[in-house]
Amino acid sequence: MNLRDSSGWIFRALWMQRTRTLLTIIGFSIGIAAMVLLSALGEGLRVFVLNEFTQFGSHIIAVNPGKTETFGIGGLLNTTRPLSLSDASAIGRLANVEEVVPVVMGNAKVKFGQRARYTDVAGVGGAADKAWKLELAQGRFLPADDLQRARALVVLGSKVKDELFAGLNPVGSFVRIGSERFRVVGVAAPKGEFLGTDLDDMVFIPAGKGMQLFNRQSLMEIDIFFNPRATSEAMADKIRRFLIDRHGFEDFTITTQDQVLATMDNILTILTFAGAGLGAISLLVGAVGITTILMITVSERTAEVGLLRALGGTTNTVRTLFLGEALVLGLIGGVCGIALVALFLLLTYLFVPGLPVALSPTIVFGALSLSMIIGLLAGGQPAASAAKMTPIDALRAE
Amino acid sequence: MSMRLTDQFTFNRQLFLRHRVRTLLLLLAVAIGVASVILLTSLGEGARGYVDREFSALGNRILAVLPGRKETTGGGPPIYGAVPRDLTLEDANALATIPGVLAVAPIVAGTTTVAYSNRSREVITLGSTDAFFAVRRLDVGAGRVLSPRSRSEPLAVCVLGVKVKRELFGSSRALGEWVRVGDRRMRVIGVLEERGESLGLDMRDMLLIPVRTAEQLFDSPSLFRILLDIAPSADSDKIEQKILTVIRKRHDGEEDVTVISQDSMLAAFDSILVTLTLAIAAIASISLLVAGILIMNISLISVSQRRKEIGLLKAIGASSRQIKQLFIGESLLLMSMGSAAGITFAFSLILIFARLWPSFPLQPPVWAVPAALLVAFGTGLVFSIMPAKQAAALDPVLALRGLQP
Repeated sequence: MNLRDSSGWIFRALWMQRTRTLLTIIGFSIGIAAMVLLSALGEGLRVFVLNEFTQFGSHIIAVNPGKTETFGIGGLLNTTRPLSLSDASAIGRLANVEEVVPVVMGNAKVKFGQRARYTDVAGVGGAADKAWKLELAQGRFLPADDLQRARALVVLGSKVKDELFAGLNPVGSFVRIGSERFRVVGVAAPKGEFLGTDLDDMVFIPAGKGMQLFNRQSLMEIDIFFNPRATSEAMADKIRRFLIDRHGFEDFTITTQDQVLATMDNILTILTFAGAGLGAISLLVGAVGITTILMITVSERTAEVGLLRALGGTTNTVRTLFLGEALVLGLIGGVCGIALVALFLLLTYLFVPGLPVALSPTIVFGALSLSMIIGLLAGGQPAASAAKMTPIDALRAE
Repeated sequence: MSMRLTDQFTFNRQLFLRHRVRTLLLLLAVAIGVASVILLTSLGEGARGYVDREFSALGNRILAVLPGRKETTGGGPPIYGAVPRDLTLEDANALATIPGVLAVAPIVAGTTTVAYSNRSREVITLGSTDAFFAVRRLDVGAGRVLSPRSRSEPLAVCVLGVKVKRELFGSSRALGEWVRVGDRRMRVIGVLEERGESLGLDMRDMLLIPVRTAEQLFDSPSLFRILLDIAPSADSDKIEQKILTVIRKRHDGEEDVTVISQDSMLAAFDSILVTLTLAIAAIASISLLVAGILIMNISLISVSQRRKEIGLLKAIGASSRQIKQLFIGESLLLMSMGSAAGITFAFSLILIFARLWPSFPLQPPVWAVPAALLVAFGTGLVFSIMPAKQAAALDPVLALRGLQP
């Protein structure tokens, strides 16, 4: 039996039982759709989060004080092993280091005239705008002062500016943060949230001033932006050796952006698989549907199978025909499922444009191959039972 | 002529027996759907129960006072802990006078190196008082806890978490030994009892020292948190207000702290987990929809296979309604058997799981079984209507002859 004959046989068989075929395909396609949609959601979330992280580039190394890996917030706590401003400036002189941003974060009241607002205060260096991709709406960012002797200047986040100055131009005015006066040199453009922190409800002051304000001996973090020509392992290693030289031993933690991304990627990939697994339950039920229907078909067409065998069809021919039927059911179900998801995504896109959903080619092709594989698996048992029939018994069955 | 329920069962049973494999596969499909709804929701509910127990294991009500404040509504608490005006031990002592406050545990937190002979380890170090043990319901497995003197004196003593003890001392005795903490020497007076993570804080890998000692060690008077144990009968909102009043008075009229209550944290966790569980249940019930379509498909087939029987039934006077009832009943019967199998399977898995991981018992939410049954019967009903109508519409004469209309 050549391919044209067998495909003709398969399609005629499916067409003769249109309602049955249609319902089987609908059931299976719902399963595929559930799985594809959930993977697409997971994948979308993964892409969204990774983009959030990579917007600052991937050539970043963070150094935190203390050698603790059990806790994510080690840098925020007190430490007996401080990272100092001079550590930061010294790292800045290493080869291939492009920018160094010392960071100390805190919370303080910012006051202008009668208006005041409690807000996050970031003590940073003059390069933070370039490193963190901050755009300025007015004025300029903190100047590249000597870290140890930075002037009392401040850049306001857009929300802080709106709250304190409303329509006025704040550049050149003085605000009071804690007990010191800071001159406003710029206003950052709205940037929105980054992982739950509102970057607009924040003011930026020099790190040295921040350490004074919060009475801290240590920076919370030093962010190092390095030349893409250097690999992050090599840079991390260099910085590690350099700081060990300065401190005597390794009393700090180095995290490369690559590590952070890899961890994130891992977690989110697991999440995507979990989503796909949830969807797979429906797919499993759809597969049971294909098996059931094919078993009925096989028993209904016993006579036909007998005739086919009597005319010289081998067991292989019979098996191929029924497997082919299962394959076609699975494939059409897969295509319908993907179409269903595409339609759904189109609708959500019209109503919720921001939703991060990614229907990648990988998912589409993965889903199609999966539908065919599941079709074949589901058809295996019915096809085998059809192939097992002896022609005599089969012909006699009616 | 009326039809009894037993007649209905006889009619349906014939079919089930005639097509055993088919029926079994149908039951499998329904069972998978029902079981997945129950299992997945109990996973969500189990997580919620776990969080609930973590919070209430302490058996008391805790308020936490954090330095700093944020005005963005809905934003998180100020996590940095660095503020121009420190939250101090004196503030903590002032809070202790508020009626309804049973105990106040000030906490200075930092990381430092703890060393014994040639081994050292970087650990989170909490400076607190004897009240910390009371508020967090912590106890030592050996030795004793910090004494009340630790509230005011910088005693050179420490209590080790079990992991710290193991890493530094191995199996030898730690009590009474001197360890180096940062640049100081301190005597080990206790080792915490073995208890895993509690509220995300791994108490096994920690060091506890008197609060005054920690102030000196980190050269900072600033408290990381103040934990308050409030009386079960006290109104936590009122106490929250009083805390803010006390702080305002002490901080020149500034309300520069954030108060978080355990109740509100628990409520936030609860609502997230409930939403998550509902979403998972909805996704799992899609599989019941697929099973419903399968049942409809099979019913259609069985209607066409049983044309003669239906024709006979009609010829001896069965009404269209009765025929419909037969086929809808068949679908519902399948759904109930499948659901029973699914429920049995789900609960046996839950039991096995409880044996293997007793600390994280899965507990299906009360609505899981009713909801799964509702969806199962709902789809069973909806998807059997079309086949039933088709059966009822058969012309008895043609059907008896086995002819298409």
